[in-house]
Amino acid sequence: MRDVLTEIWESIRRNKLRTCLTGFAVSWGIFMLIVLLGAGNGLMNAFMRGGEDIATNTMQVGGGRTSKPYDGLKEGRRIWLDERDVQLTGSEVFADHIDQVISSVSTNATVSYGKKHFSGSIEGNFPARQEMDKIEILYGRFLNDKDIKDSRKVVVLPEDRAETLLGNEIRDSGARFPGVAPSVRSGKEVNVQDLLGRYVRIGDFSYRVVGIAKTNQATNSNTVYAPYTTIRTIYGKGQEIDDITFTFHGLDSEAENEAFEAQFRATMNTRHRAAPDDRRALWIWNRFTQNLQMNRGRNLLSTALWVIGLLTLLGGIVGVSNIMLITVKERTHEFGIRKAIGASPWGIMKLILAESVTITAFFGYVGMLLGMLACMVLDKTVGQSSVSIMDEQIAMFVNPTVGLDVALEATLVLIIAGSLAGLFPARKASRVRPIEALRAE
Amino acid sequence: MLIELKNVNKTYNNGQPLHVLKGINLGIDKGEFVSIMGASGSGKSTLLNILGILDNYDMGEYYIDGRLIKGLTERQAADYRNHMIGFIFQSFNLIGFKTAVENVELPLFYQGVPRAKRHQMAMEYLDRLGLADWAKHYPNEMSGGQKQRVAIARALITNPKIILADEPTGALDSKTSEEVMQLLGKLNREEGVTIIVVTHESGVANCTDKIVHIKDGIIGQIEDNREHRASVFGTSTIMK
Repeated sequence: MRDVLTEIWESIRRNKLRTCLTGFAVSWGIFMLIVLLGAGNGLMNAFMRGGEDIATNTMQVGGGRTSKPYDGLKEGRRIWLDERDVQLTGSEVFADHIDQVISSVSTNATVSYGKKHFSGSIEGNFPARQEMDKIEILYGRFLNDKDIKDSRKVVVLPEDRAETLLGNEIRDSGARFPGVAPSVRSGKEVNVQDLLGRYVRIGDFSYRVVGIAKTNQATNSNTVYAPYTTIRTIYGKGQEIDDITFTFHGLDSEAENEAFEAQFRATMNTRHRAAPDDRRALWIWNRFTQNLQMNRGRNLLSTALWVIGLLTLLGGIVGVSNIMLITVKERTHEFGIRKAIGASPWGIMKLILAESVTITAFFGYVGMLLGMLACMVLDKTVGQSSVSIMDEQIAMFVNPTVGLDVALEATLVLIIAGSLAGLFPARKASRVRPIEALRAE
Repeated sequence: MLIELKNVNKTYNNGQPLHVLKGINLGIDKGEFVSIMGASGSGKSTLLNILGILDNYDMGEYYIDGRLIKGLTERQAADYRNHMIGFIFQSFNLIGFKTAVENVELPLFYQGVPRAKRHQMAMEYLDRLGLADWAKHYPNEMSGGQKQRVAIARALITNPKIILADEPTGALDSKTSEEVMQLLGKLNREEGVTIIVVTHESGVANCTDKIVHIKDGIIGQIEDNREHRASVFGTSTIMK
């Protein structure tokens, strides 16, 4: 091994400039591959961040509008879900898969505190909602069973709405530019924490603030939560509800999910006198299959980036192959001597292949390190900023780096690429006929 | 018989077929010091290539130490060359970016001899040829005679059955040529090395014990030259 390395070093030392120039192409290829994959990861991470916050084994069902006539009724009829749908969902019929069922009602109202106010949706909900939507409570608590039971007038406010009520304007001028810290708050700072226990006015009633939830762009970020029973009573919703959310188990593949959805839809549709296969009468949002699809999208993006990166690398590989061919040509006489004194074809081939792999691997690693460095720089700059879209802070890049797995894959790619680059020159070298080579003086 | 050639024929088929060797029959015993002599185009280089297993032949048989050398794979040929034959070339054919000692080591490297062992052996051989002080020098720092002695050390190091020397003095001045030929003669006498020298110089041939004349692809006269009295213009041959 050391002998082969010595030989390679001797050969490279004689052609420093040539080797470095070609090596640069390889470095560049790997650099681009790593940066592309890192940026792709950052993009996907930003995109997936919301998704990670939602329990993936839940489905949400809402009322829609029928799209075909059925049972003597015309199409285009609104379907309203009600309490009996909740009971049916939670009944024995679906007990094989459905665990916990909750429903929600909502209304639009103005929330005010002192002189500040905002209008938005107030959702009457259950404590289990917190788990299903992974609602993060910053201060205080979420709704509890006692709130429901006693129809208490309490609310959980999202953080940004709480800021609005306190008059802490969020200045978004800086956030439009990457690299500048977003959300610089102005004026006298009043902590949102101080709202806990205070009363806000919603419609004609006062509600006590029991919790401040973290604003989440991916889910219903700006929703004000109140107990289900309170909202139903105050706004006279009667039996009518907005949506049903349930957790399920035992549906592991897309096919199983689709079968279950079809069965569920048929049952529910029938109850509402809609065609069993009418996909518009009810909308079903299955977070599990959505997650699967997002993963598929992620894989697709990653594959596309690999292809682009490898094509960039190809330029470097061709370069290495090219200089190896020149090397072989220059060293024809030497190979002839080696063969005359007993080098086998494989002995010569090994020399060229090893040299090719060494050049590719060495410069590839340099490129890989630089690429990872660039990813880190990206992480520290663009990765820390967000853009403001419709008053919401959205991060464009989250952790745009590559993992150890990519580094290992890239190493493998380099070794294979180096071998491929050296293959033809090495074969050419191994076929040198000693008499011809010795004659070529 | 160490070397035995039976009716060896060779034709080159580059465009016009060229029948170079037209049935060579030759036997060389162990310990002989032979020269093969002929004008350019006589087929002596082709014969040397066949003897050195650098080229194949079309017809006939070639034995080294009773082993038929025919239809070998490249790998086998390389192995035989490595173990049985030591080459000395007109242009030395040392590897320019390797030092003298590294050049001498090279055949042992292809035999898989460990580094320390082959280095020690190479130093021994260089020492025997009076070049121990030059071991660390590169070929372009040495004189022609020194280079040829390095090449001889490289040829000897595997302890081959035959040393093939192709115009070993072709690139040397007359004084150095004399020295190199005397060195080869000494190796032959004192260590019993079988040496075959291919040359077109009668002076060189005269240093050997037996002169094989080749002309137009056939072996002509075989001169016994143990007295080293072959005249500069040998009988019935055309000399330069």
